[in-house]
Amino acid sequence: MLIKIKSAANRGLETIGVDVEVNTASRGLPGFDIVGLADKAVDESKERVKTAIISSRIEFPQKKITVNLAPADVPKEGSVYDLPIAVGILSTLTNCKIPEKSLFFGELSLDGSLRHTKGALLMALFAKESGFENIFVPKDSANEAAVIKGIKVFPVENLSQLLLHFSERECILPAVYQKTEEEAFDNLIEFDMRDVLGQEQAKRAMEIAAAGGHNILMVGSPGTGKTMLARALPGILPPLNEKESLEVTKIHSSAGTIPPGGSLITIRQFRSPHHTGSPAGLIGGGTKPHPGEISLAHRGVLFLDEFNEFPRSVLEALRQPLEDGYVMISRSKERAMYPARFMLVASANPCPCGYLNHPKKTCVCSPRQIKKYQKRISGPLLDRIDLHVDVPPVDVNELSENQKASEFLEPSSAIKERVILAREKQTERLRNDSIHVNAEMKNNHIKKYCKLSKEVEQILQQAGVKFQLSARAYLKMIKVARTIADLESSSEITISHMAEALQYRPKGYEGV
Amino acid sequence: MKEFNLQTGKIGEDIAQKYLKKQGYKILERNFKTKYAEIDLVARQKNELVFVEVRTKKGEAFGTPEESLNQRKLRKLWWNARGYTNKIRWQGPYRIDAVCIVLNLDNSFVRLNHYQNIV
Repeated sequence: MLIKIKSAANRGLETIGVDVEVNTASRGLPGFDIVGLADKAVDESKERVKTAIISSRIEFPQKKITVNLAPADVPKEGSVYDLPIAVGILSTLTNCKIPEKSLFFGELSLDGSLRHTKGALLMALFAKESGFENIFVPKDSANEAAVIKGIKVFPVENLSQLLLHFSERECILPAVYQKTEEEAFDNLIEFDMRDVLGQEQAKRAMEIAAAGGHNILMVGSPGTGKTMLARALPGILPPLNEKESLEVTKIHSSAGTIPPGGSLITIRQFRSPHHTGSPAGLIGGGTKPHPGEISLAHRGVLFLDEFNEFPRSVLEALRQPLEDGYVMISRSKERAMYPARFMLVASANPCPCGYLNHPKKTCVCSPRQIKKYQKRISGPLLDRIDLHVDVPPVDVNELSENQKASEFLEPSSAIKERVILAREKQTERLRNDSIHVNAEMKNNHIKKYCKLSKEVEQILQQAGVKFQLSARAYLKMIKVARTIADLESSSEITISHMAEALQYRPKGYEGV
Repeated sequence: MKEFNLQTGKIGEDIAQKYLKKQGYKILERNFKTKYAEIDLVARQKNELVFVEVRTKKGEAFGTPEESLNQRKLRKLWWNARGYTNKIRWQGPYRIDAVCIVLNLDNSFVRLNHYQNIV
């Protein structure tokens, strides 16, 4: 008896339909075989399915069972086929009626219950696009799949419940998307901007970076608050809009970073990988391409603390995604394209001892050491960072005074409001170009939206000659000036905007 | 314990032999030892040589006889068959069958299944 169950396979962010064909033959030595380029996790599903069926108080058939995962030439990985295989076997056993146009996916536990499985959102999206009406998913993953409207998402707790549903004795109610608690977000932010004492210029740079989605590099001695500033950044970032939210959730769904019961990601991600990370971990990769940190930070922040401690191979690999906003991972067997439109926030010390240009302490590094240290970050990479900001040491005497004054400092929420306003202006302006922020503007957008008056252009030209700005840095300055103007709700870029932007020019690092 | 298993096996083989004879097979060998292991039964059906592996279990509480035939055992059976055919210079067709027998604890017969061409 041959039964066909529909399921799907995730390859990167794409989903391909998979037919799970289950045949139980009455002749032949009893056994259980899975064919169709199944990996180890799929092959092991034999044991899970068998035990789960027995645990559901159904006798496992002593027959020759053959499962084919078609198309046979697409590699299948993961545990998503447990449920379709089990449903196939159960339907040959009990003759239960399986609803038409239904998609099944989920991992089985030995006791017959279903476990949270990654990729629920992608499956639901695929189901909708390919004209399915029902999708059966593990209960813990149902909220993730329920984001997609227009299909019925059935949260399945265990196999016995599913059988009752098929026989229409006890129906499972379709899941309705429930917003996950947002209060968790407040706990995520470790620092408020007002906790950072002094560093007004750096804070201002952070605000500009947040408003325009610009990359930022902070250079300063140890203990001046670079890391604190970066960690306070999520507090001033605007929430994700609906479209961005779906983009981000898709990546996280495919990476399996959404917790059980979790759903749409509405807050910007803040990723801070340690500097011992591998290129594949940061950029994405593996024999089956997985999204890396840069993709997980999509539409959010990638914070690289101790920027020049990162291996050169990792840093240089960032160049292309920084420009393009996506990363194409090609392996011999598979390739995958992951979006990676992130905001790079980097922090570094000026020299190995950390006290170069310190007003009080003397630097003990030799010029050669300093040169070697600074050379770890290449020119092309520095050129791609829009804002370069110096984080000077804070005087200890001022600290105690500032501590008292911190109540009067601007809290993150006030800055956030300005940032949101500035972003609204940008999205309004860039709506027709399908980009969101100033940092994403290409040359043609700059020509279109950033008309400079004669005087402003003159200043920029003078600065370009004097500071030897590259063509890219020249354009970046215009973008930054545009963001500063947006923060002040000015439709035109004035001299003061440009002058401020030029303060944050790429300094080639040694000038700081 | 081992002795009892051997005894069970012998009972099973007797049952299998009787069953096959009834089906029109001609039994050629029993417990034939090759270089690798032992072949339970070698029979002949018309012009085809049949190697029979007999699996006997007392009760199915600890797994069925079918379950005890894993890939490793099947490979062994295949090698055994090859050894035998080489030895007697058999050129004709041959196949490997399994006869699975379940007994009660008092050695009374419960069921017998004959699976043809399992390798």
